[in-house]
Amino acid sequence: MIVCVAVVGHQNNPLYIQSFTDADDALKLHHIVHCSLDVIEERVNNPKKSGTTLNEAFLGLLYPTLNYKVYGYLTNTKVKFILVTTDLDVRDTDVRTFFRKFHAAYVDAVSNPFHVPGKRITSRNFAQTVSNIVGSYGLN
Amino acid sequence: MVEPVNSSLGKMLLEEVSPVVMVLCTPLVEETFLKNGLSFLETLKPFCNFSNIDVPVRTSGDQLYRLKKFTLRLFYASDIRQPNVEVAKQRLEHVITQAGEKDFQELKSDPPQITEILSNPESEIAPTWFQYYNKELIRTLSFSDHEAFDHPVACLLVVSSKDEEPINKFVDLFNTNRLPSLLNDGAMDPKILKHFLLVHDNQDATTERTSKVLSEMRSTFGNNECNLLCTNSSKEGNVEHQANPWASFKSSVSADKLGCALTGDDIVEIKDLMQEFASRHIIPYMEQKVRELNQQISATRKGLRNQIKNLWWRKGKDDGPDSTKGPMYTFSSTESQIRILGDYAFMLHDYELALSSYRLISTDYKLDKAWKHYAGVQEMMGLAYFISDQSKKEAEYCMENAFSTYMKLGKSGFQNATRCGLWWAEMLKARDQHKEAASVYFRICGEEPLHAAVMLEQASYCFVLTKPPMLHKYGFHLVLSGDHYKNCDQVNHAIRTYRSAISVYKSTTWSHIKDHVYFHIGQWYAIVGMHDVAVKNMLKVLDCGYQSKATQEIFLRDFFDIVKKTGMKHEVVGLQLPVISISSLQVIYEDHRTYASQASALVEESIWQSLEDDIIPSLNSGKSNWLELQSKLLPKKYKESNVCVAGESVKVDLEFRNPLLISTSITSVSLICELAANSDDLKLVDKEPSSSSLGPQSSTEHNQGTTSGFSSFTLSEVDFTLGGGEKKMVRLTVTPSEEGILKVVGVRWELSGSIVGVHYFQSVPVKANTTKGRRKNKLTPTDALKFLVIKSLPRLEGTIDHLPEELYAGDLRYLVLDLKNKSESPIKNLKMKISHPRFVSPGNHEEELTTEFPDCLKKGDEQNIVQHETNRTSSVFAFPKDVSLQGDKSLRWPIWLRAAIPGTLSLYFTIYYEMDNVSSIMKYRTLRMHYNLQVLPSLQTSFEITPSPSRLQEFLVRMDIVNCANSDCFQIHQLSTVGCRWSISLLQPVDTILPSKSLLAGQALSCFFMIKDCRKSGTEDEKTMSLPASQTDVKLFTQDDDEKLFDIVNSPLASFHESERSSQGASTRASPNTVDFILISRFAKSSNPSAVPDLPKILSHHSCHNSIRTSSPLSWSLDGPQTIHHDFSTSLCEIKLKMVIRNTSDGVSSVTINTNDCLPDAAVATPSSGNQSGWRYIPTVTEEMKLTSDVMGSRLGKPPSSMESRLGKPPSSMESSPPFIWSGLSSTKVQIQPLSTTEIPLQISVFSPGIYDLSSYKLNWELSEHENASSSTSSGTCQGYPYYLAALQSE
Repeated sequence: MIVCVAVVGHQNNPLYIQSFTDADDALKLHHIVHCSLDVIEERVNNPKKSGTTLNEAFLGLLYPTLNYKVYGYLTNTKVKFILVTTDLDVRDTDVRTFFRKFHAAYVDAVSNPFHVPGKRITSRNFAQTVSNIVGSYGLN
Repeated sequence: MVEPVNSSLGKMLLEEVSPVVMVLCTPLVEETFLKNGLSFLETLKPFCNFSNIDVPVRTSGDQLYRLKKFTLRLFYASDIRQPNVEVAKQRLEHVITQAGEKDFQELKSDPPQITEILSNPESEIAPTWFQYYNKELIRTLSFSDHEAFDHPVACLLVVSSKDEEPINKFVDLFNTNRLPSLLNDGAMDPKILKHFLLVHDNQDATTERTSKVLSEMRSTFGNNECNLLCTNSSKEGNVEHQANPWASFKSSVSADKLGCALTGDDIVEIKDLMQEFASRHIIPYMEQKVRELNQQISATRKGLRNQIKNLWWRKGKDDGPDSTKGPMYTFSSTESQIRILGDYAFMLHDYELALSSYRLISTDYKLDKAWKHYAGVQEMMGLAYFISDQSKKEAEYCMENAFSTYMKLGKSGFQNATRCGLWWAEMLKARDQHKEAASVYFRICGEEPLHAAVMLEQASYCFVLTKPPMLHKYGFHLVLSGDHYKNCDQVNHAIRTYRSAISVYKSTTWSHIKDHVYFHIGQWYAIVGMHDVAVKNMLKVLDCGYQSKATQEIFLRDFFDIVKKTGMKHEVVGLQLPVISISSLQVIYEDHRTYASQASALVEESIWQSLEDDIIPSLNSGKSNWLELQSKLLPKKYKESNVCVAGESVKVDLEFRNPLLISTSITSVSLICELAANSDDLKLVDKEPSSSSLGPQSSTEHNQGTTSGFSSFTLSEVDFTLGGGEKKMVRLTVTPSEEGILKVVGVRWELSGSIVGVHYFQSVPVKANTTKGRRKNKLTPTDALKFLVIKSLPRLEGTIDHLPEELYAGDLRYLVLDLKNKSESPIKNLKMKISHPRFVSPGNHEEELTTEFPDCLKKGDEQNIVQHETNRTSSVFAFPKDVSLQGDKSLRWPIWLRAAIPGTLSLYFTIYYEMDNVSSIMKYRTLRMHYNLQVLPSLQTSFEITPSPSRLQEFLVRMDIVNCANSDCFQIHQLSTVGCRWSISLLQPVDTILPSKSLLAGQALSCFFMIKDCRKSGTEDEKTMSLPASQTDVKLFTQDDDEKLFDIVNSPLASFHESERSSQGASTRASPNTVDFILISRFAKSSNPSAVPDLPKILSHHSCHNSIRTSSPLSWSLDGPQTIHHDFSTSLCEIKLKMVIRNTSDGVSSVTINTNDCLPDAAVATPSSGNQSGWRYIPTVTEEMKLTSDVMGSRLGKPPSSMESRLGKPPSSMESSPPFIWSGLSSTKVQIQPLSTTEIPLQISVFSPGIYDLSSYKLNWELSEHENASSSTSSGTCQGYPYYLAALQSE
């Protein structure tokens, strides 16, 4: 199950963070997302040797914590998408598809002329789309 | 990179993996040394570290090498045992608590900046007590049974010369019964090097006895093995040591007392003794032992044969009963011997030998499944690899292996795993692999919270040290660590970690985390009693609107609790609750411009300025005028400040917003001001307040007059409650009572009666009073809040009594303008200008009416005959020269109001007046009044005039009246022609026209009149002929025959007609072909009498420039509701309309309807030269095809050019009418057959209540005479009719 998705701006400022758990663990998830920024930075600064990953937005598994797996995705505008899931065996292709959909939703949201770049995404439509994507992912 | 030996791990190993010396001494020896405040062991300890011992050593090989650094570890025999777990735990806790207390004072300061942390040298990032703690932690594992480096190498037997039978004592001391159990049960070798020491106390022992005992000793135990130590040479016992060698070992006692009886010579003696002991005895002994063991092992274990044998033998042991714990190895077993060899070699810094031994034994232990031993050996291998700077990979592999093996052992192995982890982490740190080190620290967290806290904190510092620093993880680990500390009641440490964490989160927008950190650190500061710091931190969480309500409640509750505990009212600069919207700051003050009401103050300055242009003295004229005089009089620095008058308040509007979901009470909101008597007294307030500072109340100081004890200004105080998420506009005032310079510095308020918030305005840009002030572009924000207070001046107050807010079009009212001057000084030279002279006309005399309105307007009321106004071109009304107001007197001036056209209207009045000799700075003032009127449509009239075919002088007039009012009825009273040219008469009796006598809402009426041109043909001179006045009026009512008709040639009707004429007609020149009508009606009765308290008395409808000719190919009407009620707070309102178009011509007409959404600021219409634009005149079309847009005669008298202007924008008088949009199709094209009608649906959307004129559409028509004849077409454009729709807010 996906427990949390986040959009983090290029200055590491949170643009959107939403948890999908019933428990009151928002703080924990915030911390996890916040920490994973370090890993993303590390990934970006020391890219893997293999050339294929050069233009790849998907950053793969960032780090496994005790109960969660954290995946990352970096857009061309240095906006980070972070996914926290409790599933232990996740196929990379699934996550990739998820991020692609998520990216599309994000692009739609920021294309809104009333959206201020660098500010939190407040679009209800975006929230709805994201929760739909998250919901559909859970069913796969 | 540091050399491994010099790294912190290297130093640690040198200290911790070093030969152990067991000390056995008699109580008298202890007593001797206790005189110095030290035990015997403590006395020797500082002298056991040799930085340059320089002893040649030869171990296994033939090569000699010199040992440089060497350390001995001394232990009392009683301490040679595995430490008690509980005691060790308490000891560790004590270390932490102590460290926490030491840091306590630092906690007060502000948290460090993240850049500061990063710029610190590596060694300063982590607190130093961690090393101490780690050492203590490692010591809890000493004397474990699976390692040999804690086995005592030598034994020091100490007897005092004062002891009875010292020789026997020596023997007794090494009695096996008293030896540690580890030596007795075979875990350690009891056969160790013995050294005998005789202690001689110079203070109370005799030298003879000592030398006797010594010689006895030498003969018994051998010459080399015995030493004498003379101490306490200082008789007084008050020696002070410059650099006390014991200070670092014993911190609890005051350091200067230590070693007070030991002279410098004594210390040298101890030093020499230890040096000799190490170099002459221990090292050679170990060397010897290593060689022996090596030989022995070479014989039994090295070589192929031995190895095979060993392997076979081990296999046989495989089925041992207890395979998890592994077999017990005594010191004499081959395995232990190899281990001892390895450890001795390690201690003698022969790492090659050590490694080879460890390697040999490691496989044995593995085969034996003696996992603990195996892990221990792996651990030592890793360390040996590291310290000898060999393969990194191997070292790490060994450590990893050791670590995981220990971990596999479960709980029993965890302690060992911890030690292994600490070493491993140190090793990684020495190699700059900080990130890996951090993960090792993380792995040794364990379950015990205090231990975990320390480890997590160490991990966090590793993240800072990684390149580039991983600050997010740093923060996270600090927070985790802090939570653990808190769980163990180590509040000081918890604060310390959170304090560092703040530096990470401070500048980010991760508000959820930030709030958590600030809130908890605030709570903890409160626990340790630092309430002020607690409050400071708590302040940061107050603006937490995004948190859940429960969280907000907790935040606030705790915040106020802590604030209460501080015991004083704090003043907080930049308190975030409530949020002050600085952009909402608006300053309203009156200099020479005064305002009658709040509403008039909010009107844009430009409107007033344009209105006042004519009446106030010119600003830009080159001539020297009063204003230039003023600027000369004024010191330069005053010029940029605003001027206000003493005794008159300066108002500041400010919006407060509650970001929380909880309602908050805010009390004592007031401005902070400064008033200096003159410019010299005004000190520059450079107290540039920081964003958030905390302190006792200081803002009140501002509010005291600087000149004298009593306050020279008064402030208003406001209390209010803000509900969850509510915004409130608050008006604050300051009224200066003295002259000087007034500065509005900020605003202060009390939150829930417990904390004072202060907000200073200076540092922020202020939109401020620039709503007025024509010097606004020069004003800096600070200047905007600075006022030059001048001596009090007369201020005129004015109201218009009973001005209705809502009235019907045509309604004529008599009103009184009431002006009051409350001050003693007189004012004179009054002038007034009105924005809409079409609507308002001032009377001529003070209180001119004696007869009641409206009867005074009737004919025959001769006393009120007023001469025709001659000068109406200028809209400035000058009061008569003799009018002057003074000393609390009031002036009542009549004003006529006539609602000329429907719509929403803003009326502006400005009254100019001058004062005498009061102030050099201000000589005149203006009073500005603003009223809003809503004019509802009432009767709509249109006239069509047809020439009589038989009589040239006579014309038939058809008057169409529609009652467009919502519900009210009107009685038609009178119809008059204006001027003396036309006489009018009825064609039918009045009763037949309107039997019901009044016109109901929505009712339409047509009636016919005849007009006759009374002018003699050819005579242009109007003055020559006169017509009896009665002939120009027609009475349209039957009852009350004695009721007189209204006199239309008198003011105000005549003057209103003048303005009607000029606004309805483009050309002022009267065309000979036009007639002007005035229809006077009365209000019949209201369907809802209570709704309209002030009923209209008479209504006059003026229709000017009615042309004598008309016709049209198209006629249409727009049908729809006249009035709608809608709740605009929920949604916009859509209104459906229907247009019916009739083609009155013979050809097929194609009509395009274009709707224009009127934009409020759209350009003004293009002036049109002719009556129409956009149509072609085609000769084939008969004369009747010539189109005029106004089907209904003159369409309320509007000339076409002004109709054109409706295209772009609503008529000028309706500038405040809100816009609407056509929400249906913007263009529709239909074909209409000759003489047929068609219906087209239309729709508009309106957004706010108001009265809308829906004439913003055009009909473009194209007419073809015959159906397929393309050649004979004509086309044209028709403007829409005025159609008024009243959209009202439903209740």
